Amino acid sequence: MWTFFHKLGSPPWFYSIAGRILQWLLPLTLLLLATGCIWGLLFTAPDFRQGNSYRIMYVHVPAAVVALAGYYVMAIAGAICLIWKMKMAEIAMRATAPVGAFLTLTALVTGAIWGKPTWGTWWVWDARTTSMLILFFLYIGVIALYEAYEDKSIASRAAGILGLVGTVNIPIIYKSVDWWYSLHQPASITFTGGSAIESSMLYPLLLMITAFYSLFASCVLCNMRVSLIKREWRASWVRALVKED
Amino acid sequence: MFEYAQRIIKRQFVLAFRSPTEFATPIAFFILVLALFPLGFGPVVKSSGAIWIVALLASLLSSDRIFRQDYDDGSLDQLLIAPQPLFGSSLAYIFAHWSQTGLPLALISPLIALMFDLPASAILALVISLLVGTVVLSLIGAIGAALTVGLRKGGALISLIILPLYVPVLIFGKASVDAGIQGSLLSPSLALLSALACGAIALAPIAVGAALRISMEI
Amino acid sequence: MHPIRRQRLGVVLFVVLFSSLAVGLVMYAMRGNINLFYPPSEVEAGIAPIGKPIRVGGMVEEESFRRNIDSLLVRFVITDFQSSLEVLYEGILPDLFGEGQGVVALGVLDSNGRFIASEVLAKHDENYMPPEVADSLKLSDKTSIGY
Repeated sequence: MWTFFHKLGSPPWFYSIAGRILQWLLPLTLLLLATGCIWGLLFTAPDFRQGNSYRIMYVHVPAAVVALAGYYVMAIAGAICLIWKMKMAEIAMRATAPVGAFLTLTALVTGAIWGKPTWGTWWVWDARTTSMLILFFLYIGVIALYEAYEDKSIASRAAGILGLVGTVNIPIIYKSVDWWYSLHQPASITFTGGSAIESSMLYPLLLMITAFYSLFASCVLCNMRVSLIKREWRASWVRALVKED
Repeated sequence: MFEYAQRIIKRQFVLAFRSPTEFATPIAFFILVLALFPLGFGPVVKSSGAIWIVALLASLLSSDRIFRQDYDDGSLDQLLIAPQPLFGSSLAYIFAHWSQTGLPLALISPLIALMFDLPASAILALVISLLVGTVVLSLIGAIGAALTVGLRKGGALISLIILPLYVPVLIFGKASVDAGIQGSLLSPSLALLSALACGAIALAPIAVGAALRISMEI
Repeated sequence: MHPIRRQRLGVVLFVVLFSSLAVGLVMYAMRGNINLFYPPSEVEAGIAPIGKPIRVGGMVEEESFRRNIDSLLVRFVITDFQSSLEVLYEGILPDLFGEGQGVVALGVLDSNGRFIASEVLAKHDENYMPPEVADSLKLSDKTSIGY
């Protein structure tokens, strides 16, 4: 157990293992995305009320779900930076932030496009949309604070604190549709109560959520490898790597 | 610990009264920007939201200064190596900041409410919500200030960090003033605002302390 | 007790005290409601202010929708199954608008207890199903789907 933990902290080991994982993960992600899109967009029936416009759900929901989960990944990496000062956790935190910000933006934009035909407006200042917008700015704040410090070890611990403070927002986003009568509909899939989506529409959605998780993982791993090289360019293992090619 | 915190508060007050212009700037800013609202939107701005937004900006403007001077002259280093817990001393700093910005804003707000033609029932709600809400603003502002105190150009960054966290205060603050306009003083929104204040009092000093330790470790 | 330990104990007690105060206040606040819109029963109870821009929300009552022949003026009744409220609106309605659907309307209450809407938004629910399934559900008289 502890040897694994120590290995995880070693940049050359992580670099090569991440490369090997990506070899499988990237094609898998593309496959899942392609299957999910084709299934969801072409082979499901239109909704009995919204017609075809509900299909944007196959992008909107996975993006929002993974954006929230990604924030937890970032906050946990930040906590590890604060407690154990692990270099890999610093890199992981910085690598998740832009991916999460992009997913939040995707959820907001697709939500606006979906909102126009169904609600009749692009944007509403209700609890769900507002708190998602705050989530986006939290991601941006973490990136900006990290970049402001020269010393990356201080930078990641400072950004880690900001990330932990921001986790207060996540349960608010998740529960906002239940606490307030907002315009946004309540969650269709819950952990306990089953699903309010008919199963022929649900399976492509679950597939797309899996696809987005694996997209998130592969983007983060790619980011981490790049920043490892950037930070460790003086180290001998990077030189050895360059000589190999 | 209490004695130590008292001495910090006293020191902050002495420093503030030695440079009264710095002390008065947020208040002047508050009144001046509020005077601009009717000019920009026409004479019938009846919105309590405007007052809240300007209170937010005034607090933001002054929050960068919470630790700046003590960082420059080295007394922040003394604070960190003192045996007293950092929790109490950061709370003392925040209290001093709040009583120099938030408290005066809340106390002059009835005047503003008259300028904005708010009904009498709303004035008490406005004062109470500002009193409670600015506590949260100071606490969050201190987190941002502690995180950026080691940086030379922290000014724009601090607003990017703090403003998203200010949003709940704005929402519930404005909602409790609106409830006051409709005649109910002890509204659920005011309760939520106080809950925010209690939660922030309990947790923000921990974050401030940790952030100060990180920033000073250069 | 060692003075440093006593200080730490003080800090911990302080944090616990204020955290529990925060939780208690949230519980208190949850008993009232803070919402995007007023349901018709609250409008009838006189909680919603007259003549100020507010939002109301509810379900469009069956067979209450009337359209003016030569203008875009429409009239419908929204209900929360306890009381109902008449809404007047002039403009284009969103696609999802229909009888038996949830809506949120922005506008003002007039002194006759009617709601003059300036914007009508359709609220859709969390149920998704193909039309055939919806038809079969309707046939088997389970009209509880929807709002």
